Amino acid sequence: MSQEIAVVGSSEFTTGFRLAGVRKVHNVPEEEKDERLDEAVTEALDDEGVGIVVMKSDDLDHLSRQVRQRAETSIEPTMVTVGGGGTSGLRDQIKRAIGIDLMDEDEDD
Amino acid sequence: MAEDVKPTRKNLMAIEDRIELSERGHDTLEQKRDGLIMEFMDILDQAQDVRAELEADYEEAQRKINMARAMEGDVAVRGAASALQEHPEITTQSKNIMGVVVPQIESSRVKKTLDQRGYGLLGTSARIDEAAEAYEELLESIILAAEVETAMKKMLEEIETTKRRVNALEFKLLPELYENQEYIEQKLEEQEREEIFRLKKIKGKKEEEEKEAREAEMKEADKAAAKEPGAVADD
Repeated sequence: MSQEIAVVGSSEFTTGFRLAGVRKVHNVPEEEKDERLDEAVTEALDDEGVGIVVMKSDDLDHLSRQVRQRAETSIEPTMVTVGGGGTSGLRDQIKRAIGIDLMDEDEDD
Repeated sequence: MAEDVKPTRKNLMAIEDRIELSERGHDTLEQKRDGLIMEFMDILDQAQDVRAELEADYEEAQRKINMARAMEGDVAVRGAASALQEHPEITTQSKNIMGVVVPQIESSRVKKTLDQRGYGLLGTSARIDEAAEAYEELLESIILAAEVETAMKKMLEEIETTKRRVNALEFKLLPELYENQEYIEQKLEEQEREEIFRLKKIKGKKEEEEKEAREAEMKEADKAAAKEPGAVADD
């Protein structure tokens, strides 16, 4: 089954992706992120036609704990965050599973 | 709990079988966990490269779209974005790494030619084309990152599960089984000692009874001999 890419964020963030042909776009104005971002992300994650959800790393801070955890650990669809590293969820998971902060080691190198 | 087990030879044998199976399972799971961690390390290296490339592509795409916005205006950029006809699609297949099914994402219609984009050549400028191209590159990096990071998440989940199983065997199940084994062995030894003691006691009692019987017989014989004086005189 073919799926699409969804983008969630402010229109400034999503316009570029629309220029690349992405049509599943969830625009949430900057000032409404605290209230509406949870809903938009949940909608994108629940959409079976979506394989990848793209978000800005900073926007994760606007999500509630539950939605953030779901977004960070979701496999189908996968959440990819851009800007600012965007691997905080993975980092915690690595620390939990392996017992060492491997990403920290690599960053120090 | 050891006290819940009946101290029988049958139970001891069953527990010994379970210990053997659990020890074998523990070793196998430990090997699996180590193998998964090694595979994960390879993917982690790849993921770090992909992530670095993704961030670089994002910076570049942002720079290009900001330039297009500055030169052409936000309305023109949004207008071009609304005109797109071709939409990128992804299909997911799977591959198996040490029993973990990880995705392989194939993409189509991500990179497009000018005429495939559909916003026309006359109404837009090269800046918008460059921005679109940069975002197409970014999408490709995102797809690759999604593939690698999903593989990482799945591997991590499997590592966690395997680790939990190893720990459960090592710190819960096996100690309990060893405790039960020791309890039954001790009880059986105790029973054996009691049995030996009992047998010895029975033997002693039997010997005593035999001795008493012999003595009684001898006394009877003596009495009989004393009662028959004629027999003595005849002698």
